[in-house]
Amino acid sequence: MDFGLTDEQIALREEVSRFAANEIKPVAAEYDRNEAYPDAVMEKAAEMGLLAPHVPIEYGGIGYSTLETAILVEELFAADPGIGLCIASAGFGAEAIIAFGTEEQKETYLPPLVEGEAVMGAAISEPHAGSDVSSVSTRAEKDGDEWVINGNKMWITNGTVGDYFVVVCETDPDVDDRYTGFSQIIIENDRDGFSAEKITGKLGIRASDTAELVFDDVRVPEENLVGTRGMGFLQIMQFFDETRTAVAAQGVGIAKGAAERALEYAQEREQFGRSISEFQAIQHKLAEMYTQTEAARGLTYKSAWGVDVDAENVTMLASMAKEYASRVATDVADEAVQVHGGAGYVDDFDVGRFYRDAKITQIYEGTTEIQKNIIARELLGKGF
Amino acid sequence: MMKVLVTVKEVAEVEEDFVLDGTRIDDRFLEYDLNEWDDYAIETAVQLAEAGDDVEVVSATIGPERCEETIRMALAKGVDRGIRVWDDTLASVDLLDVNAKTEIFNAIIAEEEPDLILTGVQAHDDSFGATGVSVADAAGYEWAAVVNALDLDADAGVAHVRRELEGGVEELTDVELPAVLTIQTGINEPRYASLRGIRMAQRKEIAQQTLDDLGLDEGAVESQITLTDMYEPESESDVELFEGDADAAAASLASVLREKGVGAQ
Repeated sequence: MDFGLTDEQIALREEVSRFAANEIKPVAAEYDRNEAYPDAVMEKAAEMGLLAPHVPIEYGGIGYSTLETAILVEELFAADPGIGLCIASAGFGAEAIIAFGTEEQKETYLPPLVEGEAVMGAAISEPHAGSDVSSVSTRAEKDGDEWVINGNKMWITNGTVGDYFVVVCETDPDVDDRYTGFSQIIIENDRDGFSAEKITGKLGIRASDTAELVFDDVRVPEENLVGTRGMGFLQIMQFFDETRTAVAAQGVGIAKGAAERALEYAQEREQFGRSISEFQAIQHKLAEMYTQTEAARGLTYKSAWGVDVDAENVTMLASMAKEYASRVATDVADEAVQVHGGAGYVDDFDVGRFYRDAKITQIYEGTTEIQKNIIARELLGKGF
Repeated sequence: MMKVLVTVKEVAEVEEDFVLDGTRIDDRFLEYDLNEWDDYAIETAVQLAEAGDDVEVVSATIGPERCEETIRMALAKGVDRGIRVWDDTLASVDLLDVNAKTEIFNAIIAEEEPDLILTGVQAHDDSFGATGVSVADAAGYEWAAVVNALDLDADAGVAHVRRELEGGVEELTDVELPAVLTIQTGINEPRYASLRGIRMAQRKEIAQQTLDDLGLDEGAVESQITLTDMYEPESESDVELFEGDADAAAASLASVLREKGVGAQ
């Protein structure tokens, strides 16, 4: 057993951390307050090759493994979860094209993501289909050699800034099976009948763009179908382990960022004539925060390793990592605010933002409750 | 084919609070990173490589194995290969002075025969600020120090350089190759190593060389300088609080600045 990172992974972490310190941290509070998408930061991130690094080398990416992506995501989220998500999500949905797309789709849609010329998104959730993904009602009907799409998608990351989306649509409503009859179709934002409305007022990750997408008789060519007609859900499910591990890494990053800020503040702040870090109550908080973060990191790395080398047996582990790391993120951010006292309750310091940002990791990509259902289902031998 | 040699150094950075241990700063309070000036020199070299047809960039450093991480980051930014000089003799030297560095780099130059050598103006830990110029003298190269703009005409074998002098005066100089330029911060905006560059750097060569490999013996690194003491100076601070409205405070600030010599004549 070897818990060490490779020299390349260590260098990746250090250089991304340097980028984050110089380019993300100084502007994070401003983008959060304004709920603005950080175009200028995205440009620099593209120069460094941070966007969609999981895209294979032949399409301009690096072909990053799940573990390498986890290290990258952790560092970005430790600097700022909102901007971190913007960078980490630029290639959302690309995994479907990488795994199931045609050669032409790969050549068209993948290189622009890496170069920062396009952003994409994955559109699954609907106003009435959140955790219950099989109740998706966006319809795609075949008309000659085109798909005609009608419906709404909700909570779509990159909704108003994205250039194209992999959209889950019901294509074959007559099949009996709950999980077949859905397909993944690429919809570009310049198609007639496509509209996106930004969702404002989010509690956290406010730099990240979230929108509702509306498809009103949107027509796309039949070759925009990704993979096999009717197999959309089964295609998506193959990536749940990977995407949940990525959210676990977000949680680890948030916990790390919050814990580091608490440690720094505790050493600066003086009360009763000494640094508050000399009080055992504060020391124990810091000890617990760092221990929990390390435990979440271990679980997340193991899950990432599992996705990369033992993909058949990683589902329970991925759900454990996602559930645990997101809980640690919220708990550690909570304690980080507590260590800051009143100063943590206003936005002069980062921890209040981390406290707000952390919550989403328990909600998206399968809620905490769904993750526990999956863990229990695996334990009780009722696999999918 | 043009060859650019960049000398780089991993420097110690001292934390805010530290403890002195004789004439050393206790290792616990040191962090190691690439010398800031060298980052600009690397960027200069990599930009030359990107602009030219056939330019090889080689970095050379003196330092223990720990430095490889820093050197590899230079490789990730586009340097083609690295040379790292270290052995037990160097490890036992207390203070590596300018002469010693000059001897070592001069031996590398004899081997590599670069057309252009870029160094940082200084290293921010020992701040001798002399190695680049001393190397030029020993190698018989032309030189220009504190360069903050470079326009290289490789075909004509001339480097047109700009040097920023005191008092806002800028000097434009033509330097014939082969030459050593000591690079000032601000000449460019050093890039981050790209993720792809970081991956490629893992496969690039860092050749380790000993003094013996370079044809040198311990006499070459014997120092004529002895570090006699290290202490923290007493610091004095002076605070003046400006009161009143913005106009009054601004006027007071302006008069203080004028007194201190800030502002136009």
